[in-house]
Amino acid sequence: MSKKPTVQPALHKVIMVGSGGVGKSALTLQFMYDEFVEDYEPTKADSYRKKILLDGEEVQIDILDTAGQEDYAAIRDNYFRSGEGFLCIFSITEDESFQATQEFREQILRVKNDDNIPFLLVGNKCDLEEKRKVSFQEAQDRANKWGVPYVETSAKTREHVDKVFYDLMREIRARKKEENKTSNGRGKDKNKKKKLKCCIL
Amino acid sequence: MGPPPIVTGLSPNEGAPGTLIKIRGENLGKSPQDLIGLTICGVDCLLAAEWKSENKILAISGPIKGKGDVIVTTQSGGVGSCNVTFKGFHIATIGPMKESAVWVEETEPYSWGRYSLSPSSYQQEDPLGLSVEDTEKKVPEEDLLTYFPNKNGDITSHNFSARWFLLENHQATSFNDLQAGLVHLRRKVQGQKEGQLSFLKANIGAVMDQVDTLVNLKERYEIDLPKVGNEPTLKLEKAIKESEHEARKLFDEVLSRKDRAEKTRNALNVLSRFRFLFCLPCVIDRNVKKGDYDIVINDYIRVKNLFCKTDVPIFKTALNEVEKRITELQIKLHEDLQTMPITVEQQKRLIRYLVNLDAPFDSAWDAIKSRSDYINKKFKLIYNYHKSLDKPDPKTKNGSASKYSKYNKTPNVDITIIPACVNFTDEICISITETFPDLWKVGQAYFSGELQVKVEAGRQVEYKHIVMNVIENFCKFVRASLIPNSLDKGERGQFGSLTLPERDEIALYLPELLHSVRTAYVTLIRLDLPNEALDIVSLLLLDLRIHCMSIMFQQTTEQIKQLTETWKINYNGKFTGVTELPIQFLNLIEGMIQIVKESVLSTELREVGLLENQMAQKEMEKQLNNILTAFHNVLNNLSSSEDYDECENGVVSQLIGTPVSSHKTGSKSNIPIWEHRLLITLSNCLFTKGTVLDMVAEKFQQGGFPSLNTPLNNAKVLLEHLEKSILDKYLEQKSDPLVGTIEPSMYLGRFDWHLTIPPSDIRPYIKECINNLINVHSEIIHISPSLLNAVLPQVVETVAEELFRLMSCVQKFSREGAVQARADISVLQDFLSGYSTEKASNYFQEALDVVPPLDRTDAILVEDILRQCTARMKIQVLCLKRKK
Ligand SMILES: Nc1nc2c(ncn2[C@@H]2O[C@H](COP(=O)(O)OP(=O)(O)O)[C@@H](O)[C@H]2O)c(=O)[nH]1
Ligand SMILES: [Mg+2]
Repeated sequence: MSKKPTVQPALHKVIMVGSGGVGKSALTLQFMYDEFVEDYEPTKADSYRKKILLDGEEVQIDILDTAGQEDYAAIRDNYFRSGEGFLCIFSITEDESFQATQEFREQILRVKNDDNIPFLLVGNKCDLEEKRKVSFQEAQDRANKWGVPYVETSAKTREHVDKVFYDLMREIRARKKEENKTSNGRGKDKNKKKKLKCCIL
Repeated sequence: MGPPPIVTGLSPNEGAPGTLIKIRGENLGKSPQDLIGLTICGVDCLLAAEWKSENKILAISGPIKGKGDVIVTTQSGGVGSCNVTFKGFHIATIGPMKESAVWVEETEPYSWGRYSLSPSSYQQEDPLGLSVEDTEKKVPEEDLLTYFPNKNGDITSHNFSARWFLLENHQATSFNDLQAGLVHLRRKVQGQKEGQLSFLKANIGAVMDQVDTLVNLKERYEIDLPKVGNEPTLKLEKAIKESEHEARKLFDEVLSRKDRAEKTRNALNVLSRFRFLFCLPCVIDRNVKKGDYDIVINDYIRVKNLFCKTDVPIFKTALNEVEKRITELQIKLHEDLQTMPITVEQQKRLIRYLVNLDAPFDSAWDAIKSRSDYINKKFKLIYNYHKSLDKPDPKTKNGSASKYSKYNKTPNVDITIIPACVNFTDEICISITETFPDLWKVGQAYFSGELQVKVEAGRQVEYKHIVMNVIENFCKFVRASLIPNSLDKGERGQFGSLTLPERDEIALYLPELLHSVRTAYVTLIRLDLPNEALDIVSLLLLDLRIHCMSIMFQQTTEQIKQLTETWKINYNGKFTGVTELPIQFLNLIEGMIQIVKESVLSTELREVGLLENQMAQKEMEKQLNNILTAFHNVLNNLSSSEDYDECENGVVSQLIGTPVSSHKTGSKSNIPIWEHRLLITLSNCLFTKGTVLDMVAEKFQQGGFPSLNTPLNNAKVLLEHLEKSILDKYLEQKSDPLVGTIEPSMYLGRFDWHLTIPPSDIRPYIKECINNLINVHSEIIHISPSLLNAVLPQVVETVAEELFRLMSCVQKFSREGAVQARADISVLQDFLSGYSTEKASNYFQEALDVVPPLDRTDAILVEDILRQCTARMKIQVLCLKRKK
């Protein structure tokens, strides 16, 4: 009984970020349990994990659903550190939530210190087209600026819900493969150090 | 047995003991009864669990420390598994005095009290007796979890794993140290194994020390007893109560702080939720500064819809703030709206803003009013400006002139200075062309509803009044500056008193000004103004045109008056003896017709033909009459002025010895002698009457003027009179001396008719008479042969009459005298037969009749003389022969 026990399927850690009330929990629950929660209950930090088939390969997805509220901002750093991929959610019916994505993005980049961290910009509640405040183009422009994909979803109708999770996992998987190739074992740490130096230089 | 339960979701995934947890997963039991077990991190929590569905269980966390699985056990599926972990907070980190990032449920205190508060549970010494190493180099807990599933490093736990413990606490400890630790541990275990006795034996020294200490303690206690009394705990109790009280105070403070924090958080929530409202005043300020009024309007409408019925005081305050700004904006926009100059588009936009902002103004109407005020004010301004440039006060002029008079002595009117009234008219025309269309457009927009403003009753009438007023003002200003006579006295004062320039000066500018007014008129017509308004201008135009025409005619009259005679006879052409004068006259008229035709007569858009107007026609006839009369006067003056050669008489008698007529040849000037001038003027008269006036009529006709026969015929009559008077003058001038010489010449050398001198030739006085007539004849021929028939017969007639008078005065004829007289008379009669009128012939015949009859021989003698004389004076005969 030494190092690794049984061979577990690969684990991909996804973190849901975004302002409160944009539908992070709703998306997560819809993805996990095919259910839609009508009432709003602020989240603190929820964990979900299940096995799924990603392109024929069995993997585990670990979802950390976080609090969007300002008062939790201080402890977000801790959550973000463990994330391998991020779904940055805003509600297309609320411009402020769209504006807030900028801050989340910055915080993630700062904590992860990695510009290419798997990341999707997600405009949720696209079933509420008549209440739209954020134009598709506007969001797409921001995503382009960041060099990330932009997808519009509805936790209510389940539109694109699977897509965002699966797309993100594919990116995480691709990222991991790449890292394994460039360096064995402790590559992650090395990469980080290099980056830091570069920045200082 | 069915599938085992599996937990896949925890909400939240961490918390202090007592946290409400939502557990999600699959196969979590088919009913509340099916759920038979629930542990969180190894702690049984089934008691507080609430089964919701196969996928959801609500639970409350127990006294958990560290991370662990959530295991659900069901009757139907057995012991389940777990994908996720729950993390219990270290109990010591949670408490009334500690800050926490999450809200700790405090309402339901659990009975873990002593268990967890026991200091031994967390202040354990290291079992190996080694110092605890740097925590930094710790192996991450997650890794430990994966290495040792379901185990932990808690030495008191059932699932204690030594490896975990070592990796967690002694990763960097050297092997030797670990060995020493092992010995230490072994010894400790050994010591425990050997039982009480051996323990006592091993520690006899220490036990004795303890006994000593106890004895000491007892002694001390007994000493203290009298001091402190029987119940030392009372004091303690009091102290505890006090500290409890203090603690409570402390706790209350914490509670109130929590309350405050809650409130702040609520306020923050409200602020962020209604940030829109609270930020709006600033946003409005910013957008107003940028001029993004549409955004301001949008925001305003939005905020009004959202909050207008609110009762919340803070919202009301914010809303008031917004309203204040909007009111300021409304006032500003309203001012902008009325600040001229401004384009129609700008005004429309401002009106739209104001309407959208529910401004309490009648914006559209104010826009119209401010425009009309602006136009009227501008008229006044233009007027005042030109008034100030108008011929300055003589006083000030002198004052300033004296300054420069040393250097520059030309204060006379400069032709290049355009009169103020001309500039003024020009500018006011441009001004109305520029400003009025906008007024009209705004008005149209207002009444057509384009401005989305309710049109108030009575505005139509008022608007019409405004428009008419502007146009009337414009017309009156123009009238006051150009044709003040068409205004009544009061208005003349009101609309200005610019100096009217001299006629010749204004004539230069009138056509141009007419054009300016017309341009303005065309602009107004294009706007589709009502006829009532256009007619005001149309009337002004008509008056201006009449005025202009009248000025042109007057100017021409003036020019005609200035015409001077050069006395150069034009020998070419059909008319002889004519000078440039009539043609100059014609040219002047022609030029005038051209100008009048171009500027006045032509009718442009919406104008009446000038000459269909009675007044205009009357005025024109009057003016034409003036022109013609002027020319008549010119001719008249020329024919009446003897001033520059009164000393001369053209015809003189060599026989009597009067001085020879002094043709001042080559001296002083080219002005011909009086008689010549008469003749020239006469032929000009004839030419004018017979030809030029017809040409004038023709020109007028070509120019599109109506028939002007009355004035032309009047002129002809006048000219006829003139001709006659000139002719009379000429005859008087010519024939009087000629006739006067006959008698003295006849009796020259003491001649008398009763003397008996045999006649051999006609007498010299006849020759002289003939010569004088030839002289007259040549004079006329020289100037204008066409005058010959008009003049010469008259002269001949007077000669014949005189001859008859002389003959009838003779008292007695001798025979020879009778022969002589008959020959004389016959020769004269014969020679002048070409120009003899019937009256002249009669006089000759009567003269012959006075002479006594002759016998045959005498008659033959007369015949002979006649024949010889005719032969000798062949040239003279030829001269006086009338050409048919
Ligand atoms: N119509 C609609 N409502 C949604 C959607 N996603 C979430 N909601 C609602 O938005 C509210 C907040 O959702 P929640 O998931 O709790 O937001 P979170 O704070 O980001 O986790 C809830 O009342 C949901 O019912 C969506 O796609 N469409
Ligand atoms: Mg949530």
